[in-house]
Amino acid sequence: MKPENPFLPYLATLQNVTDLTCDVKLFTLEFNDSAVRESFDYKVGQFVFLSVFGVGESPFTFVSVPYKTGLEHAIRRVGTVSNALHELEPGAIVGVRGPFGNHFPLEEYKGKNIFIIGGGIGMAPLRPIITTVVDHREDYGDLVIINGARTPKDLVFAPEFDTWAKSPGTRLELTVDRGDENWKGRVALVPSVVSELKLSPQNAIAITCGPPIMIHFTLIELKKLGFTPNQIVTTLERKMKCGLGKCARCNVGLKYVCQDGPVFTLEQISELIEEF
Amino acid sequence: MTQFISKRDLLSWLGRLTEKHIIIAPTKVAELNLFQKVNRVEEIILDFNNTALSPKECLFPTTETLFYVEVERKDGQVELIPVTIDQKTVIFGLRPCDARGIALLDRPFLKEPADALYQQHRDKITLVGLACLTACPECFCTSMGSAPDDPSNLDILLTEVEEGYIVQIVTEKGKALLPEELLSTTQAPPPAPPSPKAVPTEGLVQRTQQVFDTPYWDRLADRCIHCNLCAYVCPTCYCFDVRDYTDKGKTERVRSWESCQSLGFTRQAGNIEPRNTKGARLRQRFAHKLLYFPKEFGALGCVGCGRCVRVCPVNIDIREIITDIQKLGAKGEA
Repeated sequence: MKPENPFLPYLATLQNVTDLTCDVKLFTLEFNDSAVRESFDYKVGQFVFLSVFGVGESPFTFVSVPYKTGLEHAIRRVGTVSNALHELEPGAIVGVRGPFGNHFPLEEYKGKNIFIIGGGIGMAPLRPIITTVVDHREDYGDLVIINGARTPKDLVFAPEFDTWAKSPGTRLELTVDRGDENWKGRVALVPSVVSELKLSPQNAIAITCGPPIMIHFTLIELKKLGFTPNQIVTTLERKMKCGLGKCARCNVGLKYVCQDGPVFTLEQISELIEEF
Repeated sequence: MTQFISKRDLLSWLGRLTEKHIIIAPTKVAELNLFQKVNRVEEIILDFNNTALSPKECLFPTTETLFYVEVERKDGQVELIPVTIDQKTVIFGLRPCDARGIALLDRPFLKEPADALYQQHRDKITLVGLACLTACPECFCTSMGSAPDDPSNLDILLTEVEEGYIVQIVTEKGKALLPEELLSTTQAPPPAPPSPKAVPTEGLVQRTQQVFDTPYWDRLADRCIHCNLCAYVCPTCYCFDVRDYTDKGKTERVRSWESCQSLGFTRQAGNIEPRNTKGARLRQRFAHKLLYFPKEFGALGCVGCGRCVRVCPVNIDIREIITDIQKLGAKGEA
C-alpha cells in the first residue's frame, strides 16, 4: 500500500482530541482508506509527518503502541503545524506520511532493567516504551520512570501514573521545577533525581528524552553512575522536510536523523562528527 | 571514422523536434547565457563558454507543486491530486560538467523510494551535450570525474568542427532521437580538448573529515554574507523546502530550493537552531560536497563548473578551500 509518490500523504480522520496539559493535546487518528488501516504498521520510536492541509507538515512521534489499535500522538503547541493541529476538532481530515526512522530495539532490552528519564513533552516517545514494558512485565527487569516537568500541571501523562506505579517491579518518580499548593512531591531537576536514586548500570538501559539542557546534564549524571555509552539511549530532533534522506535538512554530520535516527545510543552520538 | 552532422541539418532537426518536444537550450537573455525554452531554433546560441546557470531546474524546478488539495465544501472530504509530467523534453547544448551534475542529482533523488516528480522529469528528458572547446577560467571538471569531451552522462555528445559537429550517440534514448539518415561520416579528427586547471582531490574525503573540527571554517565564514548565490548556481545543490500555499480556496504543497547557508535552515519549533554559527553553516556546504555526499553516494558532490567561484561576492573559492583542506590535513593540524 505504499503510495507511488512518497510525498503524497495518506488521509486520516481525527477521532479524539483530548487536553493532556494546557499546551499538550492527545490526538487519536484513523486512516480513511481501510486497506491502509489494515496494512499500516510502525515500531516504537518511529515517527510520521502529520499534515494540516494549507498549513504544512511536521514530524511527530507515536505515543501509541503498534500492538493495540489506534494511532496516537501527544503534541505540544509550539510551532506552525502543531498550533494548527491544536485548532482542529474530531472529524477533521489530516495527512499522514510514514512511518520513518529507526526505532527503540525493545527486543534487545528484554531481561534488562529499564530506566526511563523524561522531561516535559520528551515523555512522548518514551510513553510507548513504558506501555510495552507494563503490558509485558515478565519480559523485562525493574522499571524506573523519572518524569519531570515545569509544574505539576505540565506532567503530560498524569492519568496513567497510577497504572504505571501499580505495575510490579516499577518505581515512578515525579519531579517538578516549581510546585503548587497541592504538590507534595519533589521539587528538583531531573538530573539531580537521577543522581539521588543511584541507578545501577548493572544489566540496565537508560533511555532519556526531554529539553536539550535536561539531556545534557542527565547524560553527565548517568556517566558518573557508571553507565557506558551503549547503555544510554536518547532521541535527536532536527528540522526535516522529507523523511527520505533527500531534502538534506536533518543531517548531523554523516547521519540523517530521519533515517539513521531518531533513536541513537550515546555511543553512536559520540561518533557523529558534528556536535549534536 | 566518426559520425558527422552539418550545422544546417542540426538546426533543421532541432526545429522539427520543437513540434513534439520542449526544447531547452542556451539563449541570450540580456547579457546572460541562460537555458530557456526555445520556440525557434534561431534563439539558440551555439557560441558560448557556459551558461550562467546549469539546466538543473529542468529536473528540479526552483519551485514545483508536489500535489493539489481539493476540499469538498459540503462533507469536508479531501482529495489529493498528484502532479504528473507528460511533456517530452530535450535539453540541448549542455556541457559535460552539467551532465555530470544531473548524474549526481540522480543519486539522492532516485535512490529508493525514488522521488516521483524527479523520476518523471528524468524519464522524459533527453540530454544532447556540446563538448567544450575552451575551458572557463574558473572550471576544473577533470578533477571532478568529468572532462570537456566527456560523453558519459549524456544521450548524445556533439563536438563542433568545421561546418558542423562530430556526433557521438551515447544511449538508446539518443539513438531514438536523432535519425541516422541525417548523419554522414567524416575523417576529420576531433579537436583536442582544452585542459582545465586541476585541483588536488586525492585523499580529499578523508582530509575533509580531518579538518572538520578546526577553526578554519569560522575564519573562512567571517566574510560570507549569506547571499546563497553559491547554492543558486550550483548544479549539484539539492536541499529543498516544502510548504503549503492556499489561494482562492485551492491549496497546493510546493517544493522549493533551499540553501544550507541561509539562516533558519535548521531552525526548529521553539526557536532552536542547532547549526547557529556562520562557520558551522559554511562547513556544512563543503562537508556535504566533499565528505557526506562521497561517503553516501561514492562521488565528490561537485562537478568543477566553477560557477560558485564566479558569482561569490566575497571570493569564497572552492578551489582554494580544497587546496587548504589538503594542506591542513597533511600538516596534521586537525
